[in-house]
Amino acid sequence: MAGQPATHPGADAGNVMVTSRQALWLELMSFYIREAWLLDERKFTGWLDLFADDVLYFMPRRKNVLRRESHREVTPLGDLALIEDDRRYLEMRVARLDTGMAWGEDPPSRTRHLIGNLVAEPADNGEVNAKTAFLVYRSHLETDHQLLAGSREDVLRRVDGAWKIARRTVILDANVLLDKNLSIFL
Amino acid sequence: MSATRTYSVIDPATGKIDRRIFADQAVYDDEMEKIFGRAWLMIGHESLLPQANDFFHTYMGEDPVILTRDGQGRLHALLNMCRHRGNRVVRCDDGNAKHFMCTYHGWMYANDGTLEHVPGTSEAYYDELDRSKLGLVEARVETYAGIVFATWATDAPSLEAYLGDARWYLDTLFNRRDGGMQALGPMKWLEPVNWKTMVDNCSDNYHVPTTHQSSARVQTRYLGRPRLSHKDQFESPNRHVFVNGHSLTFREAPDNTPRYVHGMSKDTFALFQQYHEATLPEVERRLGSLRAHRVQLGNHSIFPNGVLGFRLALPRGPLQTEFWHFVLLEKDAPETIKQVIRIGSQANNGVAGLFEQDDVDNWRQVTAASRSRLSRRVPQDLSMGIGHAGSHPDYPGVVSERYISENNQRHFYRRWEEFMNAESWADIPIAPITARFEGTATIRG
Repeated sequence: MAGQPATHPGADAGNVMVTSRQALWLELMSFYIREAWLLDERKFTGWLDLFADDVLYFMPRRKNVLRRESHREVTPLGDLALIEDDRRYLEMRVARLDTGMAWGEDPPSRTRHLIGNLVAEPADNGEVNAKTAFLVYRSHLETDHQLLAGSREDVLRRVDGAWKIARRTVILDANVLLDKNLSIFL
Repeated sequence: MSATRTYSVIDPATGKIDRRIFADQAVYDDEMEKIFGRAWLMIGHESLLPQANDFFHTYMGEDPVILTRDGQGRLHALLNMCRHRGNRVVRCDDGNAKHFMCTYHGWMYANDGTLEHVPGTSEAYYDELDRSKLGLVEARVETYAGIVFATWATDAPSLEAYLGDARWYLDTLFNRRDGGMQALGPMKWLEPVNWKTMVDNCSDNYHVPTTHQSSARVQTRYLGRPRLSHKDQFESPNRHVFVNGHSLTFREAPDNTPRYVHGMSKDTFALFQQYHEATLPEVERRLGSLRAHRVQLGNHSIFPNGVLGFRLALPRGPLQTEFWHFVLLEKDAPETIKQVIRIGSQANNGVAGLFEQDDVDNWRQVTAASRSRLSRRVPQDLSMGIGHAGSHPDYPGVVSERYISENNQRHFYRRWEEFMNAESWADIPIAPITARFEGTATIRG
């Protein structure tokens, strides 16, 4: 039927079957929702567990260039980036918060991560390229607040039955960031 | 135009400073005229526009400026404002263009600022428009070791005189190699902070063990970097010196060891030591033996708003500053060295930098305390080390006896007064160059 999701030929009304692509989408969407709650509930050690050991967490700069030069809009790896962390640097960022002296986040920010628009494309090597959009609200101290928008382009890999983020590229939509610092995780 | 005021904001005998200068709109407006309208301002780096017809968009104070390289390779700093109605003629961060066209009425400028074409010169202007008087407003441009400076003041001294003996120290970071340096960046963000606080903080090494303890501690644990406790800072061999308007610190240690820059770890230290030793003969030839062996520039600021290497604190009103973070790399350094420095720089001092994250709330509350009724009447206390600085047989400038001192900050606000109370450049003192610039390096590189 037009407009209906494809179902397994043997599906009955009480047990709707989904395609493997839809199953993957549902699985990854729950993965991202779980990640968002880990971040917003400040369970950062649990958040770190979502990353592979060889992760590259990359946040390039976003430039104003002419439309015909759009290939230069996002700075490449190797240029100055906002973040270019390996696992060790990610762990340092989290460990820092537990020293009791990370003043930029103590008292901590209040965040809300909204993740959506998931598009997941399996790659030949068993990994999955997953693209999502985010809106992240941050409130800090008395009146500081900021809305960050952008996309995440992740490479996900199954390790011992669980999805791990092997590479994350966070592309912010801002040129000059309006926030006083970027002390929260995206 | 602001009325002429006489500023006396710091008492050198007590270090008390009137904190209203951090929040007052009239003071800020005066600063834009008397400091940012006069001083040599850091605006870019030659490596950001290497080819003919490249441009890089930047700022002098709040004025948008196009730094261009014309077809002959000459640099120009042009006010990004069409002479007709004032629209910007460039909206990109950088690029390559021989011409800039105003998108309002189509006036077209060459990249040296010349007004080349106006639609309707005969039909609408009766051939009475003198295009030769309507080029983009141009600033004076000079370079130091690839760093581009510009000033609006026709009566300003040369950049060489403006930097003066500060260059003797700056050379030990910016002028070491024959191949020069390359700039990457910038990343840009807004901080709710008065621009002066982030500049004066560059000589404030007293804050490091408190403000940055969390980052220092995890980097000792994860990267094997040296500890940064109060004791370590108080016993540091570093020096603190004010030279001709500029606030500098440097590592003074004849131990033939490279300074621990951000990103270096226990694992990569050997690599840096090797690079240090391999390049020492070249550095010695360029800078002479004393500077090559004993002097390594640390945190510093170039008056008024060049901070910590090649970074800019761009004023955006008394309560806001746009921060631009670049990293400078020695062009001929091995790729691994460049990568470690780049990642260390962006991981520690950018908008998401481990160290920098913890600065901003301190600075913004210093700024905010300059606004409310009672707190703005209570002065800041910059009394540390008064009477404990003077001349030194080996080092130019006013050298503090100890590394941890507020001598540079007191002098920074004195320098601020000198600019703010001057009628013209003739009233602004420039210290004569007395340092012995040994070696082959020049202001050109």
